[in-house]
Amino acid sequence: VSGYDVTSRPSVPGTASSGPAPAQLADVLERVLDKGIVIAGDIRINLLDIELLTIRLRLLIASADKAREMGIAWWDGDPFLSGRRDGGALEDRIKRLEAKAGLEDAQER
Amino acid sequence: MTATAAGTLWYAYAVVAAGAEGSAPLGDELELVRVGDVAVVATRVPASDFGEDVLPARLNDRAWLERAVQEHDRVVQRLLASGAVVPLRFGSLHRDRRALEEFLESRRDEFATALDRVRGHVELGLKVWLAKDGGGDDAPPPASGRDYLERQRAARDRRAAASAEVGERLRDVHERLLRVADAGVLNRPQARELTGDPRPMVMNAAYLVPAGDAALAAEVDRLADEHPQLAFELTGPWAPYNFVEAASA
Repeated sequence: VSGYDVTSRPSVPGTASSGPAPAQLADVLERVLDKGIVIAGDIRINLLDIELLTIRLRLLIASADKAREMGIAWWDGDPFLSGRRDGGALEDRIKRLEAKAGLEDAQER
Repeated sequence: MTATAAGTLWYAYAVVAAGAEGSAPLGDELELVRVGDVAVVATRVPASDFGEDVLPARLNDRAWLERAVQEHDRVVQRLLASGAVVPLRFGSLHRDRRALEEFLESRRDEFATALDRVRGHVELGLKVWLAKDGGGDDAPPPASGRDYLERQRAARDRRAAASAEVGERLRDVHERLLRVADAGVLNRPQARELTGDPRPMVMNAAYLVPAGDAALAAEVDRLADEHPQLAFELTGPWAPYNFVEAASA
């Protein structure tokens, strides 16, 4: 059943998933708050605010131990699979942001 | 603050190729700020919502935030329909058009490169869930305390083995999908609090594919047939949110 139409939106029902399609809101939040190019506007304070907010969203995400138990953190420690995302502690992230004073978050890829 | 003196701020959604607006009118609430061959799509927002003094409170108002975020994506999505889009992260605010122009000017080459990279492409999201929890529910009640403990231990061993097996399967899934995509990114699986789904999410990925290309969806179909214990959900097409961050690298 591969009638997947990439020109339509939103949310294609999973071709093989059963059960109710989860709300798309989580996907939108994740992308709009945590992805996309970071730019430093005139209102500098809000970059940090947003960063704090995404940290809060992250805290909703299963704790690392639980994640490992469920097999969720299966790519941890595999630089090839983990790619450029998910690079380290929140502390580093905050420090980096502060150091850059709101400049572009162009870390290693 | 001078930034809020006028009562409005310029909120930037995305960078597009200048000239792209010709094919799809922006609508009167959106402004196009051009510098050379790139342009920022922005809108004027009230400082009473986005000013420095109120924004922190707004950001922690979940209903407000959800509306604002949905609106951001709606605009970006609309732009995607008419050409290459480099989405900006939520909350890119400038005090006026001039400030936005200066910003664009300063990073013009970077954006041109990013636009070239994603042109003709869309992002597809893939979420994978454990379809079932590993059984054991229909067993008779434990006959003794020792029986109970042994069962607990066996269940724990089963979970560990299952988890290793799931990890292997997901590696295979990701590697196969990378072969039919231009790029792929693994993100942390979303929490149940966010998804509202009782099943545990075990994979949350995004892939960059040519617009209109069905190869990845077809591969997902095959993977779903091969892995009945996993539930696959494709979302999108999205603007390439996950594939613009390292554009300057």
